[in-house]
Amino acid sequence: MKKGLIKNLVVVVAIAFALAACKQPTALIDGTKAAIDKVTQAGADKYAVEELKALNDDLAKAMDEVNAQDKKFFKKFGTAKEMMTQLTAKAAELEAQIPAKKEAAKNLAVQIQGEAQAALTEATDLLAKAPKGKGTAKDLEALKADLAGAQTAFPEIQAALDAGDFIAAQDKAKSVKEKAAAIAEQIKQAMEKVKK
Amino acid sequence: MILTFGCKTPPVPPEAERANALEGEIWRAGGSFFLADEYEQYRRSLADVRARVAEEKAEFGWFRDYKDLQIELRDLVTSGESLLVKIGEVKSSKSTAFAAAVQALEARVERLKEMTLFFNESDEIRRSLAQADIKIGEAGMLVAKEKYGEAETVLSAGAAFVENAWKAAAALLRRYLDRGQMARWRTWADETIAESREKKIVAFLVNKIERTLTVYRNGAEVAFYEIGLGKYGLSDKLYAGDEATPEGKYRIVRKFPESAFYKALLIDYPNEEDRRTFAEARRKGSVPAGAGIGGAIEIHGGGKDSLTKGCVGLENKDMDEVFDWAEVGTAVTIVGAASIENTILADILKYSDHG
Repeated sequence: MKKGLIKNLVVVVAIAFALAACKQPTALIDGTKAAIDKVTQAGADKYAVEELKALNDDLAKAMDEVNAQDKKFFKKFGTAKEMMTQLTAKAAELEAQIPAKKEAAKNLAVQIQGEAQAALTEATDLLAKAPKGKGTAKDLEALKADLAGAQTAFPEIQAALDAGDFIAAQDKAKSVKEKAAAIAEQIKQAMEKVKK
Repeated sequence: MILTFGCKTPPVPPEAERANALEGEIWRAGGSFFLADEYEQYRRSLADVRARVAEEKAEFGWFRDYKDLQIELRDLVTSGESLLVKIGEVKSSKSTAFAAAVQALEARVERLKEMTLFFNESDEIRRSLAQADIKIGEAGMLVAKEKYGEAETVLSAGAAFVENAWKAAAALLRRYLDRGQMARWRTWADETIAESREKKIVAFLVNKIERTLTVYRNGAEVAFYEIGLGKYGLSDKLYAGDEATPEGKYRIVRKFPESAFYKALLIDYPNEEDRRTFAEARRKGSVPAGAGIGGAIEIHGGGKDSLTKGCVGLENKDMDEVFDWAEVGTAVTIVGAASIENTILADILKYSDHG
């Protein structure tokens, strides 16, 4: 019995030392961080801002768990490992979604760019057709200059598209489109003045 | 008894979940933009207490004690909720300030647009203003998405376009702010009014910056009319085809009861001073090759809003009255401005002084 007790005690101590020797799952931690960096580089900071924040928050919680276990004698990194594994999977899932989100943002920007061009073309055509009669010549000259200003701003949309900044491209395109539409409306009003 | 104690493990305080959720709310509210330092402080405090909660949670159930941590978490939640309120106040105040900045910029844009109604040479000004309008629109979209940092950058770009426009306007009107030039114009105007008074006759005074033609009889103002000018009407006419309206003291030499522009009054441009100026400019090479001094400058009908080739244009109904006032020999004095108190010039002076 004494022998059995000693044997059990040795096993317990051996297990204790084995557990105490457990190290942080460094490779897993590094892999998780790399996965989150990768999804950030892929554009999550622009196209999936909330989801990226959630990933970073979860990483912080997982690291809390790792650090808490690290301070103990009997370290158990099982929970932390599970958290990291799930996080890596979530990051990969999000990364897979980014191209579609970017493509959607790009398509929308290109669409609005087209609408802005159409608005500029409409204003240009109206200006060409507008009769420079009584009471309109000065107004039309002013609107011609306005249109030139809007046309100068138009290339910024393509520059934003080329830089991959599709959200900015959308905003720029919307603004140019609104200005061009306002100019077209003023040209129509000037033309109405002539008819009267 | 031991088992009973062993089964009863204290739960993580609910304040921990609230503190975590608050961090997200503060972030979404724009904490990292509006109160970056305080947001960062909250995040650090949260990370610290969360790490200690995790440590405590990792203990054997018997040894877990969240009492002190719960107090800390309650304090943290209180500070987080205060921070959220503060962000709301800062956001509201920044939004208001941003809206005020946009409004001020839009007011400068509108003022310049109004000014361009008074002069035709506004291409560069209008182009810059159109680009400013586009930037202001873009900034507004960013504000709607609460991207205040980016909105400020875009609004600055808009402000730069407005600055360009003001500079262009100041350059255009530089001649009008020259005191020597203003004194010359005033002298011409005073002499014309004095002649009208002394000889008890009618005289016309055209003021280019005001866009008016004033009729004086016996030295008293009896009527004034709004006018149009040449495409480059603010400039002093130098040569044929420059589409500028001349400045100087002239007389009506002919009355046309019918003309291509309703009725017309021909003036004796160029006078002696015009010829001297032309000769000097030609010597300096300021006149295009082959260009003559020009002529056929009239006061005529056809509307005040159409661009003339340098003539003074009036609405037909006004031209009827002016035609009746006029006789061959009636003085027509054309000045750039009669007073620096004109609102356009005052605004340009204010801009030149303060930017």
